[in-house]
Amino acid sequence: MSEKIVFEKAKERIEHIEDVLSSVAAGDLDVRIEAEIEDDLTGVEEAINILIEDLTYELKQSKKMREELEEKLSKIEDQQKTIIRQQDDLLELSSPVSKVWDNILILPVIGTLDSQRAQIMMENLLQKIVDTGCTMSILDITGVPTVDTQVANHLLKTVTSARLLGADCIISGISPAIAQTIVHLGIDLSVIKTKATLQDAMIYAMRKNNQLTHGKIKSDHLSETEETE
Amino acid sequence: MNEISFDNNWEQLGKYPIVTEHDIVKIRQLVRHHAKEARMGIVEQTRITTAVSELFRNMFNYAEGGDVLIERGNIDGKNALIVTCIDQGPGIEDLELAMSDGYTSGMGMGYGLPGTKRLVDRFEIQSEKDKGTIVRVMKWR
Amino acid sequence: MNIDLHEKKIPIIKIRDFLIVSIQVDMHDKLAIQLQSQILEEIEKTGAKGVLIDISVLEMVDSFIGRMLSGMASMAAIMDAAVVIVGMQPSVAITLVELGLEMPGVDTALNMEKGIEMLEERLSNYNTL
Repeated sequence: MSEKIVFEKAKERIEHIEDVLSSVAAGDLDVRIEAEIEDDLTGVEEAINILIEDLTYELKQSKKMREELEEKLSKIEDQQKTIIRQQDDLLELSSPVSKVWDNILILPVIGTLDSQRAQIMMENLLQKIVDTGCTMSILDITGVPTVDTQVANHLLKTVTSARLLGADCIISGISPAIAQTIVHLGIDLSVIKTKATLQDAMIYAMRKNNQLTHGKIKSDHLSETEETE
Repeated sequence: MNEISFDNNWEQLGKYPIVTEHDIVKIRQLVRHHAKEARMGIVEQTRITTAVSELFRNMFNYAEGGDVLIERGNIDGKNALIVTCIDQGPGIEDLELAMSDGYTSGMGMGYGLPGTKRLVDRFEIQSEKDKGTIVRVMKWR
Repeated sequence: MNIDLHEKKIPIIKIRDFLIVSIQVDMHDKLAIQLQSQILEEIEKTGAKGVLIDISVLEMVDSFIGRMLSGMASMAAIMDAAVVIVGMQPSVAITLVELGLEMPGVDTALNMEKGIEMLEERLSNYNTL
């Protein structure tokens, strides 16, 4: 074999190696270098083949891991959605407004009041006022551990909005600690009616109720006697 | 201050001029319609409608009208209704003062911009004296 | 979508000593101002002692209409007539408060019946003077 032929052959083989490598780079992992002759270059060719094998294995592994991760992620997302939905449900549930007496509604607030919860609470109370036609409502905050500026503002907003609808809203359950914080924060609650206990608020609401319906009771009585005649 | 950008890939729902008092009513009803389409609650609908009504009236009173751009886009992963008011009016000289509660420049009695800002989730304003004012408000569910 | 922009006057009904106004359309500013003077003229003409303004179908009240209503109440008061705003929707009330329009000094009632009761009581106090 002349040197020229050997050189040509080597060149061909190197070109083959290049082709295989670029195929691998392009994503085709099935190609291998086919060794025809055994010589110095064979070692390189085999090494490259082993590298391709390793690469194929690694890629398969990482693909599997990615799929597992994706599966886990979608599971977590589903769980998150459930949590959010349950939180929403909880928000709705945690502000029950009940009619306790003729013309009187009570909304007991228990737990920490954040902006979102205060918002839903306010909307629920106002809607219930309109639906029932009750003109007195009591917002009892005995179960609220702390009142900060934000919470106080929400309470103020609720009372002011209720007034615009044509209803009175009393806030009861002001503990000494809450009274102290409110004054220290410089929040003016003097524009709204506050009572220390739910009982006080109830007595106040019923007295006010009697005042309101006093005239009405008389006229109702009158119309009844007219009917019996 | 951040410049208000018009290079967003938001979906344009409409562009309308405010020229008469009727336009104020007509376009605020359109905004409510889009808020309803975006499945906002009744309180949210009322907030955005009232907010844009305030902005439209400002344009009508102080800038001889202007243009309103209604868009829908994704803001921080939330589906938002975006209303941009553009006028070529006298502009606002002291924005900081105009944004402070109780300030008014014209015949109103305050409660202009700060009140409007309280009703929306995002409020952006840009103004240049004698050139005009751009106000953009966003509301999401 | 139904957009009512017809230039029609809002009817004012007189029943006994009261005027009853029911706002059924989304008012533009001129219509709101027109309604204000219309009501005041009617107070003068009829000698009504109370005005009930029903806004239960209004889906929004912005600062302009809000000021028109509270202005209306003050103006009527100095003509010796009481104004009661009736039937405001919760969403409208919340928005007004957030806007900063708390409308102090304006009397409100949940519904027409309660509004009439309110005015009657006021009138009976007035008659004993």
